[in-house]
Amino acid sequence: MTMKNVKNVYPPKFPEKKFGRVHYWQIDHEVKNIFEIGGVTILPSSEAWQKFAWTRKFFGEKPKEGYFIWVKRKIDFPLTTCITIASPKISQDLRNLLVIEKNIKVRANVICNAKEKFLCGKHLARGKLILKEGVFLEYNHIHKWGEKDNVQADYEFTLEKGARLIYNYRNLFPPENLEFKTTIHSGENTSSNLNFIINSLNSKTKVKDTVFLEGKNSQTVVRLRLVGRKKSQIEAISQIFATSPGKGHLDCQGLLVDKTAKISLIPQLVCQNKKAQITHEASIGKVSEEELTYLRMRGLTEKEAIDLIVSGFLKV
Amino acid sequence: MKKILLKIKKIKAKANEREILKGVSFQIKRGEIQSLLGPNASGKSTFAQVIIGNPKYKITGGGIFFEGKEVTKFSPERRVKLGMALAWQSPPKIKGVKLSQVLERISQREIEIEEAKSLLEKEVNLDLSGGEKKISELLQVISLNPKLVIFDEIDSGLDIKRLEKVAKMIKKELVDKGVSVLLITHLGQILQFLKPNLTNVMLNGKIICKGRDFRKILRTIKKYDYEKCKKCLSAKVS
Repeated sequence: MTMKNVKNVYPPKFPEKKFGRVHYWQIDHEVKNIFEIGGVTILPSSEAWQKFAWTRKFFGEKPKEGYFIWVKRKIDFPLTTCITIASPKISQDLRNLLVIEKNIKVRANVICNAKEKFLCGKHLARGKLILKEGVFLEYNHIHKWGEKDNVQADYEFTLEKGARLIYNYRNLFPPENLEFKTTIHSGENTSSNLNFIINSLNSKTKVKDTVFLEGKNSQTVVRLRLVGRKKSQIEAISQIFATSPGKGHLDCQGLLVDKTAKISLIPQLVCQNKKAQITHEASIGKVSEEELTYLRMRGLTEKEAIDLIVSGFLKV
Repeated sequence: MKKILLKIKKIKAKANEREILKGVSFQIKRGEIQSLLGPNASGKSTFAQVIIGNPKYKITGGGIFFEGKEVTKFSPERRVKLGMALAWQSPPKIKGVKLSQVLERISQREIEIEEAKSLLEKEVNLDLSGGEKKISELLQVISLNPKLVIFDEIDSGLDIKRLEKVAKMIKKELVDKGVSVLLITHLGQILQFLKPNLTNVMLNGKIICKGRDFRKILRTIKKYDYEKCKKCLSAKVS
């Protein structure tokens, strides 16, 4: 066996190389392709607004761009969407809506990326995701941005009775500014498992995730992993509000990799039901000198050792 | 005559402003096995860490030479590339990183150790028994294809059966291949299996004596404890 380079390489590969077929792909403001699947309606949001009046309460206002996906039948493969910035100074304003009908199991790969490193783009995305009774959704959300991009993402999930959500968010290449907000409304007997991996490098990042335990026996586990690299600032707020007898746990951990990084982390628990059980653990630390030295004594350079330790830290 | 692989000249080292090594001189030849005995806190582990270049320790005097080249200021990874390796006494846990991931990055040779197979998919030193940690350390240092390996208390916490197994692995994978081995040990149990060519005793940051007959030294230590080493062994220095 020989040494391997473990670094990520820019620019990121386009999604079809990794995820197979892309069912909705928008580049800048244009829809590059929509791949029709039986039992699933996929439309640009603006068309859905016209065609399905019931979507308007979710969109709020008439959308300019973004996607509408309505899953009505079981699908045996992952649903993949991709929103790309490919031209300089593009400003996207997206409204996305995903509705999954009762008792359907869906895996979704959701990629938002910039094709190049210095496009200075703006990506504003607001998404609503409706998981009807008994739905299972694994939502893999991946961000890969250029160094000068500005990104605001605001996603709201509604879990109806018995729905289950696994949400994995990972930003592989952070933009200059990232504001990332997630809200979960949990109905009766629902469960959500949220895993956020935030890498920050030469960037400012604000993260806010809020889970409302609104239904009886609703459960959530939120895991937040923050890595502050060179010249980065991360502000994170992780909250659980319990208004019903549910269970929730916040597990928030930050790792400072560089002395110029700053992480602020606020876990918050608000309990309005005496039968609810909500807990949290939070910590911010630096890379252990002992672990670093140990790996260097195995022949890894300091950078290789840090990358390996960080990769372990990010495994949630 | 065998060539000297590692030579240490009057090395002095401190940590947190406290001097731990107070002018240690030492040398080991190619293919040689040596042992270093000493009580707790005598400086044995610091000596091992200093040889491999732990930046925690500040060298305040003397020098380290490997294959004739001064390496005193080399980074640990550079020393490893030259062929130096250390199996830690209490290796740190690395959460989320599997042993196989480390081996994938460091291995310079393929090896198969039956006892290590179950450890490959476990996180490095996490939830491992004392014996498993030793096997993990042994596997890693062998995979580096080194010229010199320092084992820091490889025999601590192992029952006699396991100790014999570990000693056999060291012999087969290292000693028989001409690798030099320095065994740092508190109780000296492993020496009966590996029979060092030379045994050193460290007290209070200094190597105070050396002898070729490790059994005699162990008997003396057992009888009089380390406090009497100086008196008991000064006449028997080879």
